[in-house]
Amino acid sequence: MIWENIKLAFKSMMASKMRTLLSLLGIVIGVGSVIAILTLGESATKSITQTIVEGGLEMVTIFPVRSEKAANEFTEDFGDRLMANVDHIKTVLPVNSSTARLRIGQKSYSANVSGVQSIYANILDYHVEDGEFFTLSDNLASRQVVVLGSDVADELFPNGDAIGQYLSIFRNQAKSYLVVGVMESKDASFNLQFNNSVYIPYNTYAQRFIKPTIVGSYVVRVADGADSLVVSDAITDYLDSSIGSDAYMLFSPATLAEMAEQITGTFSSFLAAIAAISLLVGGIGIMNIMLVSVAERTREIGIRKAMGASPWTIMGQFITEAIVLTITGGIIGIALGTALSYAVANLLEWGLYIKYSAFVFATGFSMLVGIFFGWYPAMKASKLDPIEALNYE
Amino acid sequence: MGREVITLVGVRRYFVMGEFVVKALDGIDLTISEGEFTAIMGPSGSGKSTLMNLIGCLDTPTDGIISIDGEHTGGMSEAELAYIRNQKVGFVFQQFNLLGKMSALDNVMTPLLYGGVGVRERRERAKTALERVGLADRMRHRPNELSGGQKQRVAIARALVNNPSILLADEPTGALDTQTGNQIMELFEELNSEGRTVVIVTHDHDVASRAKREILVRDGKLEA
Repeated sequence: MIWENIKLAFKSMMASKMRTLLSLLGIVIGVGSVIAILTLGESATKSITQTIVEGGLEMVTIFPVRSEKAANEFTEDFGDRLMANVDHIKTVLPVNSSTARLRIGQKSYSANVSGVQSIYANILDYHVEDGEFFTLSDNLASRQVVVLGSDVADELFPNGDAIGQYLSIFRNQAKSYLVVGVMESKDASFNLQFNNSVYIPYNTYAQRFIKPTIVGSYVVRVADGADSLVVSDAITDYLDSSIGSDAYMLFSPATLAEMAEQITGTFSSFLAAIAAISLLVGGIGIMNIMLVSVAERTREIGIRKAMGASPWTIMGQFITEAIVLTITGGIIGIALGTALSYAVANLLEWGLYIKYSAFVFATGFSMLVGIFFGWYPAMKASKLDPIEALNYE
Repeated sequence: MGREVITLVGVRRYFVMGEFVVKALDGIDLTISEGEFTAIMGPSGSGKSTLMNLIGCLDTPTDGIISIDGEHTGGMSEAELAYIRNQKVGFVFQQFNLLGKMSALDNVMTPLLYGGVGVRERRERAKTALERVGLADRMRHRPNELSGGQKQRVAIARALVNNPSILLADEPTGALDTQTGNQIMELFEELNSEGRTVVIVTHDHDVASRAKREILVRDGKLEA
């Protein structure tokens, strides 16, 4: 019976193609926009988090806020204290940085100068292209050596002959640094500009460059296999209780990624809800067309009743027709919405992440719209008086 | 004479039209037995169509008892009446009332669908019914590809296909020319001679005269 009803529904849809198409338009647009919004929302979230995650999910950076309290707490032994109080930390690296002018011959260039430990590059998964990163002994002896980010090297040494040359770094007075390494290019993460930086030993920075009143930042490397979100929450808890939440700022790609996901998720749910309203409007269109269909087919309904169709049978026939209509609209909408998402994602150079759950949801919702808005017309059909229906002109 | 397939006792059918009550049928007692060929006659407005609707279970009486093939229809729900129409009554109408978008075969299969018969058996029985009315070569045609006489034959096949207790025809020749009408009446005579109970509602004396029994309705009552 259901199969017969579906066949009947398709027959009646095909009998008036233009009308069917127009009545489907509401559902098609509704489902299409819901699908496009959900798919693009997902793709946007993924592409944003991708950018954040590239900075290294396993990194948490703590920035002390310049204050007396912070200066008392963020001392040389802070890293050891943090590791003693929070589990799953591999290393804590203090970093000092500031902007300075670099000069070689007539060329001058402004870059970020960072004083870091010799294991910094290793920990951040940042690779040397040429030469080598400075060593522990360079640091301990506060040698005036420098490693260049790729942009800096390209700018100042376009011939690629940086290694072994001396570079002047200006800070109050010019000091000469020996270039020992050039780094590979690495995408900037949210708080680290790799390519536009130069790196000097931590002790050199503190003793020969600027004496910092407070450590600029601490890069915390989460232990392998540990959940960065959990660790960054644990660090926050520890710092809030031991120092106070006003003494530092904490950046964690994992936290940011989660936040971004929440924001885009909320945003796309909100947009999808608005788009769902057009589904409702589409549903009203379906009800309208079904009422017209019932009126037009009054005589057919009378004939079917005379042949022994029960009210439920008639009801089933028209409900099925409404559902077939809306599901057809839903499927067309899914196809159009996906095509639209594909086009937009291509245009914005996002990766396309198709949410298959949205397909199931859209089809199910279309079906519900069909049942809901098909109910009244089908009810009307089932209650027609057979004699009046048979005599209907 | 066989058993009674149609029994009406004290049947009244009143219609309320605004302030007036129209007594379409006012106290009908009627029995029709299995195998009879009956014509119900009467001028327009006499109540013969109302009588036919009641016998066909398309309508329910204001008062009185109607029994079709032993089933009392009083107090039956819409769905139960639909079942009686499906199983016990085969309708033939003046205007054929075929479903226009379907082939002759699909039209004839429809009552079997409502009777819950499986698709293979539906097709077989519908074919047999169409062969019986002489339309073996027109099964795939749609109503608009058939002549009036052929359409009425399809309608008769559709009425027969569920093997009903009563074949109920309302002016079955009314939309046909005389010759075609005669052929249709011959078909009814044949079906009756095979033992089917046939009831024809008509105002045409020539049609009525071919029945074995004539009943005259006038002003909502039967005249002997």
